[in-house]
Amino acid sequence: MKALQQDLKRLDATDTQVLGVSMDSAFANKAFADQIGVTFPLLSDWGGDVTRKYGIYVDKYKAARRVNFLIGKDGKILEEQVDRDAIDPTKIVDTCERPKLKN
Amino acid sequence: MRNKLSNGLAASLLAGMLVFASAAPAGAQSTPASASSMPKVGDVAPDFALNYFDGNDLKPVSLSQYRGKKNVVVAFFVFAFTGG
Repeated sequence: MKALQQDLKRLDATDTQVLGVSMDSAFANKAFADQIGVTFPLLSDWGGDVTRKYGIYVDKYKAARRVNFLIGKDGKILEEQVDRDAIDPTKIVDTCERPKLKN
Repeated sequence: MRNKLSNGLAASLLAGMLVFASAAPAGAQSTPASASSMPKVGDVAPDFALNYFDGNDLKPVSLSQYRGKKNVVVAFFVFAFTGG
């Protein structure tokens, strides 16, 4: 989440909203956001319905995998980063800055 | 005679163990079923409506509210207070 926060201005400039999601409570996520200086919403998927819908629920940990989805204005997925690859969102930021996505 | 018998027994035991050993890993290693149902690039992202806490109230956010307006990065993370 910190890495996305660092890239937030660049993402804002390309008409891109950032949303974090975890299976923690909304209140824990607010405290987490404050602690690490995140200003975008950290949504609560308490119970994991959305995490399961996205096929990234891990039974062993009863939590989500770390995955970034970049979704275009048409609602279609443009880019995905999974597990370790999701730690550095540079690929997603670069895609957002491609000229055709700026409209 | 006795030697032959025990040799035969040992061989069949060994064979049995080999069969068991080769069968075991297949059963022990289960691939996560969730991976197969993850939406792919080009798919329409499943809609969702979730809340975040802004310090005063729970605020609803849906993916569909950005349709036609903004790109969205949906960043799933494992647990609050772990890593970045």
